Amino acid sequence: MMMEAIAFYMLAGFLIFFSYKVISVPNPLHSALYLVLTMLGLASAFFNLGAQFIAGVQVIVYAGAVMVLFVMVLMLFDLKTEIRSFSRGLISGALKVMSAALIAGLALGGARSSVTVLDAPAGAAVPGDVTRQLGILLYTKYLFAFEILGILLLAVAVGVVAVSRMKGGTHARH
Amino acid sequence: MGIDVFEIGVNFVKMIAIFLMMVQIVPLLVWVERRGSAYIQNRLGPNRVGPLGLMQLAADAVKFLTKEEFVPKRGYPFLFYAAPVVAMVPAALAFGAIPLSSPVMVEAFEWMGQHWGPYSFKFQGYEIGIGIVFVLGVSSLAAYGVLLAGYGSANKYALYGALRASAQTISYELAMGLSIVGVILLFNSFNFAEIVGAQSAPMNFMLFGKKVELAFLPNWGIFYQPLGAVLLFSAMFAEANRLPFDLPEAEGELVAGYHTEYSGFKFNMFFIGEYGHMLVASALMVTFFFGGYTLWPWLTPETVAKWFTGMSLTQTSLLTALVLHGVFLAKVVLFLWIFIWVRWTLPRFRYDQLMDLGWRTMLPWALFNTILTAVVILIMRHPWGA
Amino acid sequence: MSQLLPVLILAIFIITFGCAMMLVSSLISIKAKKPDPVKDETYECGIPSDNSGDTKISIKFYLTAILFILFDIEIIFMYPWAMTYGDFIAAGYGVYSFCVMAFFLAVFIFGLFWEVKSKALEWE
Repeated sequence: MMMEAIAFYMLAGFLIFFSYKVISVPNPLHSALYLVLTMLGLASAFFNLGAQFIAGVQVIVYAGAVMVLFVMVLMLFDLKTEIRSFSRGLISGALKVMSAALIAGLALGGARSSVTVLDAPAGAAVPGDVTRQLGILLYTKYLFAFEILGILLLAVAVGVVAVSRMKGGTHARH
Repeated sequence: MGIDVFEIGVNFVKMIAIFLMMVQIVPLLVWVERRGSAYIQNRLGPNRVGPLGLMQLAADAVKFLTKEEFVPKRGYPFLFYAAPVVAMVPAALAFGAIPLSSPVMVEAFEWMGQHWGPYSFKFQGYEIGIGIVFVLGVSSLAAYGVLLAGYGSANKYALYGALRASAQTISYELAMGLSIVGVILLFNSFNFAEIVGAQSAPMNFMLFGKKVELAFLPNWGIFYQPLGAVLLFSAMFAEANRLPFDLPEAEGELVAGYHTEYSGFKFNMFFIGEYGHMLVASALMVTFFFGGYTLWPWLTPETVAKWFTGMSLTQTSLLTALVLHGVFLAKVVLFLWIFIWVRWTLPRFRYDQLMDLGWRTMLPWALFNTILTAVVILIMRHPWGA
Repeated sequence: MSQLLPVLILAIFIITFGCAMMLVSSLISIKAKKPDPVKDETYECGIPSDNSGDTKISIKFYLTAILFILFDIEIIFMYPWAMTYGDFIAAGYGVYSFCVMAFFLAVFIFGLFWEVKSKALEWE
């Protein structure tokens, strides 16, 4: 138990460090790479909680697909450093603090109202069983959400192709 | 918890062994590749240094180490140095999750005045319950080494090569992921050990709800999933950036692709990554379709245990595991040779043909394979009349 | 202890090996006698490198990557289905499970067909 606690807090520490780095490093590519590390850390957090399949999906989809796209896009712009997007004035500083507080409050409130502490399930769950249960639940109880997701992904695919066809925008030739 | 020094020590040794297998396979494969290509092209190949030219490996290593360190002036040194290291990691991690032989039991024993044991060790780097998903996830990280190399070199051709490579890798990952669905449907498991266990038996399947056994064939995945096997193997070629899919380093168009600026040991590390992918691909093919470390009916944990009757060998002895490990390695070597053979036989694709093949040929065929498998399994396994 | 610890240890091994080898290489490698600005340039076949940063890249690369993400998610959702399919059949709900995936696959195939038809995946 002690070892698990130590492992968890070390992982949590690394996660917070990486996600802090994501927003603090000036080079956007480094920022994206730190985000990859954050995703991998999140995946191992899921894994340690017993949600092995979710951990695998986290790696395949976020670290292996979404972040590859991000890195690919960032590589093609010659962004040596991020241009400061806000001025350093008093008003914008106050705005930044206020919006940070607002987001933190929202996150805390959301977390507190949505999290219920469950009792530990009877008997230690075998990892394979958790995945199997997930599969059975996904295709029975949450069937509607699952099928809607398929249609949503189709809509996104169509939208992507449509946007890529669009002439105009910031690079239009006048 | 039963973790003590002995167990930690053995696990540490296993890690070192996996790591050494990864690194040592490269010089050997390079030698096989050079001699093999020479054989195919009716040449001699490297035969001067040592017997059969085998000392060429050591000579190459020395040469790699003494090459001048070079970083392009405009490049990003950290990313430039990090890329080859990152390129080695995914293949090694994926290889660690594949079972190399049957598990080993160590009886309780007494040593240095203390009781140790009994232990059960898996003959693999680490056992992950969701083995297939783990391997897929880890190998999807392979794009980063290539992308970092292309960006860190600040070279136009390296960048193009990296982009091509990553676009190719992700395109073929789809066909790869989908062709594995058929395997999972067949064995109903993500776990490699269970998949191998199911294949270490005479061929048996459900025919309209009745169990049928064909005693003259092993229960290998290839007999149920021939199309899936072909699709997976072709996608693996593309994942490892091997010819005929080596567009990222097409010399005629892109100098040398993403490793244009690399030399010396950094270049060698990209090689370790590429050959590591070949190793993982061969191991996966063997595990999914060719019975893993067993060869029914001659070589399974049960039969090997009966070989040495005088030595009180059991199914979980180290010697049994080593014999079965030999079986696994023999199968893997066969697939590695196919990788080399294909490289020196087929010409390279054009880039549009490559993307066409991935998206418009292999992906629909993999879909077809999945649907066909699902339908057949539904009809065959449905409890008719029950 | 977590199952992931050996994975981490193996990753650290590999990274240490890589760094150590590069360190050894930089210590014993033969160094150039005098600095040469031309040699330090990037190698683009001898033509002075024009790395102004406005490299034009075909939008197809982005398109491929985005479509990959979408199809990848769909394929990932088929994994638990493939795993539980046998259980559903054994419980007598095989046809139900098949229909669930048949609908999902129909959407998938329609999407793929549409992408092919709209020539979004065509490289020239």
